[in-house]
Formats: sequence, C-alpha cells, structure tokens
Amino acid sequence: MIFFAGTSLTLGSSVSLLQNMPGDFLRHPARVLQADYQLSGRFREYISGRLETFLAMATDSFGGSYYDYYDYYGDNLIESTTTGENTATVTQEPIPYEGMSEEELMEWQNWYYSYDNRSDRKDPLTDEERAQQCQKIAQQYHDSIKKDQNLLYSIAYDGKVLYSNSELLPTDGQLTAPEGYNFLLQYAEGKVRIFKDGKELDVYGDGYYRDSGSEWYVPGYRNFTVDEDQKKAVIYIAAVKEPVLYSESAYGRSSYRQMDNRLYWMQYNITARRSLLIQSLVCLTAGLVLLLAALLCRRSRREARADIARFTGKIWFEFKLLTGILVLYPTFLGAVMWLAQNYGYGDLLYLVEDTAYWAEAEEYGYSLSYAIPTLARSVCSLPAWIWLVVFWLLYFAANDLRHNKKVWAHGLIAKLYRSFTARDLDQPLPVKTAHRNAAAFVAAALFGVLMLAGGVIGFAWGGRNDGAVWGLGSLFFLILVGYLILQYRIGVKNMETARDIELLTDRIRNIRSGNYAENGGSSEENVREEGKSRLEEDSRLAGHDLEQTITELEDIRHGMANAVDEQMKSERMKVELIANVSHDIKTPLTSIISYVQFLKEEKELPEHVRDYVKILDEKSQRLKNMVQDVFAVSKAASGELPMHMEELDFGKLLRQTLADMEEQIADSKVTFRTEIPDAPVMIMADGQRMYRVFQNLFQNAIQYSLDGSRVFVTLQADGCMAVASVKNTSHQELEKDKDFTERFTRGDLSRTDGGSGLGLSIAQSFTEACGGSFSWETNADLFVVTVSFRLTGNTHTGGAENA
Amino acid sequence: MGDCVLVVDDDREIVKAIGILLEGEGYEVLKAYDGLQALDILATRQVRLVLIDVMMPKLDGLSAVMRIREKQNIPIIVLSAKSEDTDKVLGLSMGADDYISKPYNPQELAARVKSQLRRYTMLGDIHAGSCADELRNGRLLYRTVEKTLYADGEPVKLTATETRIIDLFMRNPGRVFPAEEIYRRVWNEDSFASENTVMVHIRRIREKVELNPKEPEYIKVVWGIGYKMEKNEKRN
Repeated sequence: MIFFAGTSLTLGSSVSLLQNMPGDFLRHPARVLQADYQLSGRFREYISGRLETFLAMATDSFGGSYYDYYDYYGDNLIESTTTGENTATVTQEPIPYEGMSEEELMEWQNWYYSYDNRSDRKDPLTDEERAQQCQKIAQQYHDSIKKDQNLLYSIAYDGKVLYSNSELLPTDGQLTAPEGYNFLLQYAEGKVRIFKDGKELDVYGDGYYRDSGSEWYVPGYRNFTVDEDQKKAVIYIAAVKEPVLYSESAYGRSSYRQMDNRLYWMQYNITARRSLLIQSLVCLTAGLVLLLAALLCRRSRREARADIARFTGKIWFEFKLLTGILVLYPTFLGAVMWLAQNYGYGDLLYLVEDTAYWAEAEEYGYSLSYAIPTLARSVCSLPAWIWLVVFWLLYFAANDLRHNKKVWAHGLIAKLYRSFTARDLDQPLPVKTAHRNAAAFVAAALFGVLMLAGGVIGFAWGGRNDGAVWGLGSLFFLILVGYLILQYRIGVKNMETARDIELLTDRIRNIRSGNYAENGGSSEENVREEGKSRLEEDSRLAGHDLEQTITELEDIRHGMANAVDEQMKSERMKVELIANVSHDIKTPLTSIISYVQFLKEEKELPEHVRDYVKILDEKSQRLKNMVQDVFAVSKAASGELPMHMEELDFGKLLRQTLADMEEQIADSKVTFRTEIPDAPVMIMADGQRMYRVFQNLFQNAIQYSLDGSRVFVTLQADGCMAVASVKNTSHQELEKDKDFTERFTRGDLSRTDGGSGLGLSIAQSFTEACGGSFSWETNADLFVVTVSFRLTGNTHTGGAENA
Repeated sequence: MGDCVLVVDDDREIVKAIGILLEGEGYEVLKAYDGLQALDILATRQVRLVLIDVMMPKLDGLSAVMRIREKQNIPIIVLSAKSEDTDKVLGLSMGADDYISKPYNPQELAARVKSQLRRYTMLGDIHAGSCADELRNGRLLYRTVEKTLYADGEPVKLTATETRIIDLFMRNPGRVFPAEEIYRRVWNEDSFASENTVMVHIRRIREKVELNPKEPEYIKVVWGIGYKMEKNEKRN
C-alpha cells in the first residue's frame, strides 16, 4: 500500500511539477517560489509595456508594446516567450479586457495593423488628424484602464498631467509610493527609477541593454534611449502590494464589466502556481519517502503484487477489458478535450490531423521538428490524474500478465467456448467437423447477406436506383452464391476427411486396446464380415487424402500383430517347455524316490550305505520340491496360474500359517515374535497362494536366521493398505545390492542348503498374482520383507467371524 | 492271496516299484505297459483295482479309463506326472476314482489303494446299513449316536475333543468355521488365542483321517477365514 501511495504521489507530483516548472526554475528556484508578483518577469514586462504605452499616450504617438496591445485580444496571453512561463494548470485565466466594444476593438486593431491598407484613410494623414486620432484612442484606453486601482499612473507631458487615475501619485518629484502601494516607477527625462518597498532598484546595471542579462526593458540605457519629445514626458506608475479585483456592474442591464485587473490575475496566478508547486514538491517528497519505504519492504510488496494478481486473476477477462476501455476511453476523451480546451481546437486539429499544415509551416520558417515537440509537449502537459490512471491501468495489466498465465483464458467468452468445446469433445469427429462447417457456412452467409444489405441500403440511401446498381447488386449476389457453394464444397470435403480421420482413430484405438489381430472378431463369421468391411473401407478410401496414412497404419498393425503373435507363441512355448521338462524329470524322479524308499526299508545295509541312502533320499526330495517350484514360478510368471480370489482376514491368515508351521518353528533355533491385530484386516487374495507366500517367508526366516535370534512378524492396517512384514537377522552377512527375488538366488552362494532358491521368487510372483505388492530390503544383517495389500471395505467392522 | 491290482505305466521301473510296494502290502499285482495291454488283461483277469498312468503309448490312460468304465465298475486310480488341478478334475471326470501325482509318496499310494479297495468291497454293507444317524462324506462315515468316525469303513480313534470337532464338521460339511467359533462350540468357552489350539487339533485329526495329511482332502484350512470339512460327493 505504501508502494502504491508512494508511486502515485511521486508520479503525480513529478508530472505536475514538470508541467508547471518554469524554464528558469533551476536557475532561480527562489524566485519562482516567492510570493511577490512584483518580482516576476511578467510583472516587469507588463510594467515596461505600460510605460511604453503611456509614453506613446503622452506624446500622442502610436506604438507601445506589441504585447500590451496584442494582449487586448486575449489570444496569446499565456504565451510569454521571454520568460518561458507556461501557466498550463492555472485554472483561472485572466479575462481579456472588455472595456471596448467589439467595433471599437476591430477599429483599433484594423487601424493599428492595417493603417496602410485602410481604404478610407486620408493619405497622407495630417499631423493634427493623427494627433486627434491618437488622443481619442489614448482617452479610450485611459478610460478603460483607469478604474483598475491596482495600478496607479499619472502621465504628464511638459509639466501638464494628461492622464492620471489617482490623486495619490506624487507629481512633484517626490519618490514615495502611496499608502498600500509598494512599487513606484518614475520616468523622467528619459530615465527610469524604480522604487520597491521604499528602496531604489538598480534598473540599468552597467548601462547597456542586453536581451539575456537586463531585466527591465525600459528606455534609459546607453544603447536604448528615447527621443527628445518623449524626454519631456513624466510618468509615474505605482503598483499595489495586494492587488484586488475591480469590476463594475450595471445592475438591471445585466451586464458586468471587469476592469483591466492584470496585476490581480498576475498575482493570482503566481500565488496559485506557487501553492501548486509547493504542493507538488511536498507530494513529491512524501512520495519519494514512501517509495523508499516501499523499497525497503520489498517482500511484502511482492506479496501484495501476487495478492492483487490473484484478485485480478479471478476477474473475468472481458470485465477487465471493458474496464480498461471504460477507463481509458473517457481518459482519452478527457485528454483530447483538455488539449482542445487549452490549445484550441484549431491547434489540436493541426497537431493531430493536418500535417500538411506543418509542411506548409516549414515554408514559413517553422520546422517540422517544431511540431513534434509541440505535440509531445501538449501530450506531456496532460493533467496528472490522466497520467496516473493510465500508469496504474498499465501497471495492473502488466502485473496481471506477469502473474497470471493466460489471462484471457478466464473469461465469459473463454468459458462459453470451453463449455461448448467440452460438450463437443464427446462427439465423434465428423459431428464436430459438421458443427464447425455449419458455423463457418452460417458466418459466411451472414457476412455476405449483411454486405449485400449494406450495399443495397447504401445505394438506396444514395438515391441511386438505376439499372447499373441493380446489375452490380445481382452480380454481387451471384458472387456470394458462388462463394457459398464453394464453402459448401470445402465443407463436404472436410467432412469426408473427418470421417476418414475417425476411421483412422478407430483403428488406432483398436490397436491400442490390443486388438492387433488381422481380424478383430473371434468367430469365423465375424472375422469374415469384419475383413470384408475393412476391405470395403479401404476401397472407399481410395483417392482420399488420408489413404496413405491408413495404409501405413495397416502396415504397423500387421507388424504388431505378427510381433505379438510371436511373443505369445514364445511365451506359451516357454511354459510348455517347462511343463514338459518338469514332467520328464518327474517320471525318473518317481522311480528314484520309490527305490530309495525300498533301500531305506532294507534292514541289513551297512551303516555307511544307510548314510548314502539318506543323502539320496534328501536330495531326491529336494529335487522333487524344486521341480514343483519351478513349475509354479513359470506358471505364475506367465500369468496362467489359476487364482481363487476371496475376501479374507490377513491377520488370521498369518496366525493360521504360523500355527500350521508351529512344529517347525518350535524345532528351530529362532523365536517368532508376532504383532498382529485381533481386529480383522480384510483383503482380497487367494488364501492358498498367500499361505504359500508366508510359508516360504517363514521357512526362509527359519532357515537363514541367526541362531537364537528373533523373527518379527507384524501386520498393520495403515490407511487403505494392509502391510505385513517379516524381519529376520541373517546368520551370515547379506550381500548388498543383491536381488534376492531373482530366481535361484540365495543368501548362501554355495547352494548346499535345502532350499530351491525359488522361495522369495515364488512369494513375489504369488503376491503379485493376488494383486498385492511385494518388496524386500536389507539393512546390515536385517532382512525385511514387506507384503502389502489394499484393504477392502470390511476392515475394522468387527465381529465378522462371530457367526 | 489278496486282491488283484493292475498297474499300468509305460515306465517299467515304476511299475516294478509299485509292484514291490503293493505286493509288500499283500496284493496280487498284474502289470501292463500300455493302455491296450491293460484292456487285454482286464478282459481276461478278475481285477479289483486299476492304477493307471496318463501318458502312455498306444492308448493313453484317460482313454483307457473311459474304455474300462464302459464295462467295469472297479476303482481306478490315475497316476500322473501332471499335478495341476485341471488334470485332476479331468481324470476324475473321465471316471477315475482317485488321482495320485508323480512323484508319489509310497505310503500315500498304498493308503489310497487300500482305501479304494475297502470302499469298493464294503460298498454293499454301507448302503445296506444306511440309516438316519449316519453322516457320510466320501470315504468318511460318522455315526452320530455312537459318536464314531469311520474312514473306509474302519473306525478312527479320536480323542473327545477331536470327536467334537468332527461332529461339528460332519454335521456341517462345506461350511467354513472360524477358529473362534470352533473353540466356542467345542470347548464351550470364549478364547483369545484360539488359532493355535484349533490348528493343533486339526492337524492331528488330519493325520488320523487323511491319506496324505500334507495334501488333505477332507479337513481343510481356508486360509485367512477358517476351517472346513470338504464335501466329497464322489462315490457317496
């Protein structure tokens, strides 16, 4: 917030400062800020202009300050080239002098400017006539300004007072200003003396007038003197300290007249500008301080930015756009109005439109480069609030763009479009294409009809109703019809392509869902039918855009079908091979086991032969187990293991398995510690297979655990998973990074123990075949196997077993 | 001389081994090495039981079983290296009475032969003595009044607790009992660690009743659920 306030203040005040800063602000900051209007350049200019005019009046001659007279028309009062002042933002402008009637003004103007061209002039004008004319004008002028008591003056010539609007002015050479007036100018004998607040000012400096250095453009310099005639004049001018507004009202005649009041407005402007400048400076300072503060807490600013972005992100894009337009457009209008108001429509038009004017102006010595700064200056001088509004709008827009991806995606139109496309998404492609075609067609037709109607109305409006118009109209109508037909043809073609694409996607989907076979159907009839339809489809595709693609897809399908067939065949062969091998091993094994049995029953065998027989017995039993295990693993791996899935209690399964193996456990040198919840932990699995899994795991634990160590069997119902784990401490070091579930892998590399090496492999295959997940990890000598299943809904309902 | 048993297998050593085994049990053993030979022998000799291999030259075991069944009702035990359930089902559906997978356990084989022969010979008696207080399930018979279990017509020696369990099972064949329920109904009290106790008794009963306690046919564990008496419809 600090940042916003700071930026606003800084920006606003700096803009207004820039706009209101007079040219010499940097040179004389004190002068600009001072409150005394009498110190301003304009005042000096005014006074010297008046002096000039008064001199002219005193000597019955024409001339005077160009600016002074020119000012009467109020045109260019603001233009003050010598000081470069620009009172752009001063709200109240000096009201032009209204003392003279329009005719008089015109006369004055015409007379003055076009004296030489006057048709009724008496040429040459006699001195007397000329003097009379002058006196008349001087009198008028005197009448018009005399009531403005802000400026007192007395004009004397040759010791005789000609015009004066005050008795208070000294006439006797005394140089004291009247009460309330702190500025006094005395002109006598071609010299000017100025007293301000009773002190005389140094008017002439070193005595030479220079454009750049001299402040007072009054006669009396060594290089700026007056003629003898004018030396006879004595003029006193006094300016009031606090100017007031003089006006004259003629009640009842509903007219109101303001006196000259130039000094009043001068002071008014200066005070206004000063307060404005001070205000701006204070604001600028405050803004800079706030900005500095904002810079210090950058993070909160970033958060604020993100917050704003989050907020603006929620606003519909259309709304933002509309707001932008609604704000920017009036701003733009306001700016234009303001420019027009301040520079006049004519100027504005010149600035905006008529570049030809500038080209023309170039001929008159204006360069085009002048126009650009003017334009730029006028744009720059727009009121600060416009700048602020524009700045913040741009800032928010940029912020929005920066923080929110795809700002346009969140909006009414986007929503409509999305919902439309979402509904469209479920439709098959040809339908979608048909929709789009229809939309394009309707749009084209509408456009054409609108154009046609517009044309007809236009012509009718124009009052032309002859054959040529109708001929042109019907020609256009024909073109429109032709265009629509073309559009329709394209649409039809698109539809065809869309149908082809749908066919293509259908086939791709078929392939993806595993239907690679040459013929998807299962029964003979289906096969033939489908084959036929496919052939038909293919022949229909002949000459279409996508023919090539579909052919290629067919090739891919062929290839995949072959590959999958091959793979299936080899998979089947593998399982068959294992089945056959195990069968072939079993038959001799049966004999071996049988005869070993007989040998075992022989009583008269020597002791060492009994040992041999014992070994034979053990190994043949182990071979038997291995053959069975290999067979089971290969079946499980090929997914041909028949499963009987049912909902069962995982905890009970573990307890039952442990109970089943109780004797084995009791005989072993390890102890089993169990942590199995009594509450049912229901899972979906094949009980027989899972029994086998845990039988293997427990057997492994018994077989490979350190003597006297403990095997921990735990079961946890954890969220939606039932996790059982068997932890045991290996009696020998576990190899790191060894995959124990790899077939024929054992902790013991020498393979002299009784296992088949398939225990974990079977456990894993069976667990996964039941839909569970099997994992194991080693940590030093700790071997942990985890079997987890997804819980079914009936867990923890309790009492399921209490029938 | 005991009952005459025909052993058919293309592997002569196996036939010989089975011959030795069964002769040791007191049976007269006839030997054949393919299906046709077996049919020839059956046509000429009075045979009480056939042990037949599935995979044989000339006439395979299952076809031979079908041919035998056309004429005779003697017990047939199929012997096969295929141990899958589907093979068993197929063999039994062809008309075989029992199924032993290779490599067989000699004791089990002898037990099954004995069991089949007993049932076959006692069939008349059993049917004659059929009455309301007898519960029959396959080769098991339970007399509810005298609370005795007979396997293949021979009484099985059971303890009081085992008898109560068998009583429960034989009265509800096919129903699965959780350990807790068995405990409650047999011991008449609630228990917490019932699983082990029940399992111990189940195992003991199996050893007395089952031909191969490791692959029980009647007293079965339904893993993760409970225990049950498998309903055995064959030759009921």
